Amino acid sequence: MGVFVYLPLVLPLTALPIARLAEQHLHPRRAARLLTTVAVILASCSLLCLGLLVVVGTAQLPGNPLPDGWSDDEVREAVPHDAFAGKASILALVVVTGACGSIVHRHFRFRARAHRALRGLGGADGIAVLPDATPYAYALPGSPGKVMVSTGMLASLEPAEHRALFAHERAHLAGRHHRLLLATRLAGCVNPLLWPLVGALVYSTERWADEEAARVTGDRRLTARAVGKAALVARPVPGGAVFAAFATAGPVPRRVAALLGPVPPDRGWPPALTPAGAAALVAAAGATVSALSSLNAAVALFLVLKAATPL
Amino acid sequence: MNAERAGGERETPARRRGQGELEAQVLSVLGEASEPVTAAWVLERLDADLSYSTVITILTRLHAKQAVTRTGRGRPVLWEPVANEAGLAALRMRRLLDKQSDRDAVLSSFVSVLSSHDEDLLRSLLAESGPDDTGAPSGRPER
Repeated sequence: MGVFVYLPLVLPLTALPIARLAEQHLHPRRAARLLTTVAVILASCSLLCLGLLVVVGTAQLPGNPLPDGWSDDEVREAVPHDAFAGKASILALVVVTGACGSIVHRHFRFRARAHRALRGLGGADGIAVLPDATPYAYALPGSPGKVMVSTGMLASLEPAEHRALFAHERAHLAGRHHRLLLATRLAGCVNPLLWPLVGALVYSTERWADEEAARVTGDRRLTARAVGKAALVARPVPGGAVFAAFATAGPVPRRVAALLGPVPPDRGWPPALTPAGAAALVAAAGATVSALSSLNAAVALFLVLKAATPL
Repeated sequence: MNAERAGGERETPARRRGQGELEAQVLSVLGEASEPVTAAWVLERLDADLSYSTVITILTRLHAKQAVTRTGRGRPVLWEPVANEAGLAALRMRRLLDKQSDRDAVLSSFVSVLSSHDEDLLRSLLAESGPDDTGAPSGRPER
């Protein structure tokens, strides 16, 4: 196994450039799919290697539950310098499993509760209007999914802007963005180096829904205005947790600016010589190397254990 | 009917669901009234076989949820709805939405939080986006 078992644990670093650059140079739909794919591949390889290290680590423990042959001296010699890493990875796997379980559990619990709260609301169009002065609008995934919007939000937008709002939320449901987000959150849990991809994906899915809304309404400026006005009325009470004072523009102004600009080109793969193209290549290469080396490590460990286990 | 069927199997979830339905029923009865009414008035018009104290309990619970208001000094206490069934759903939803970490794990919000810098930027972007901002629903740009 040697170094190959550790490579997939650090190779998620190759996905960081594309997380930074995807939003600027890729169509949001392609960016979202690319980010999710890369995150899932890198996380799976990470998890596989963590599992391999756990097997190695367990072999070092006296009284381990593995077959006797697995903790032979031979095996220990074949997997040197893994004593500490092996034991550490047992702990890591427990933490990762717990965190992923908690994410999935909370996801479905929230969905169930929200659907229960909305029972009886929302007509054939799947729009549930909630009498609430606080302006909010959300897409609630499910079968069927629902768009819930407060009267406070509706009151602050023009009728034409309502169409943009509904089209945006429906695009979230139709594109099943919650699945992409859940998969990437789990990936970020498996390997924390992948966390920046979650933020990038949240932004990409919002932009994707914005573009859909612009396409449905046929008016980019109208959609931009709906997003901008909604953000201005939905601003939190003073003293709330705001990540303010960053020099760069936050996500909403960037979305509005993108909507006021031209339709993003929907080409297959960004040209290799652009920064985004290079970043995409780096991420693809990282995912490939990660897959190969985790496979290599898995085969190596399998052979060692097979040789050690009396059949 | 529904409560009857569910009541035999599992005690707690069925009862909780029953409570939600009773609250909705009480609210809809209150919605028929044109003025603040007493609990006895509600009990008379309720379609369910409930005791007076149950109605009081439900009303008190609705009061805690800020779905009804109580007026009348001393006796009798008068009740008035502030929200109908949709309003009750809104209250439940707000309680859910207030748990930010859970909410963010599932829902895609239409807009995220703005910093003050964002706010200025956004206002200038919207101002640039055109003078057709002034309320005309068919605000198509003229070219």
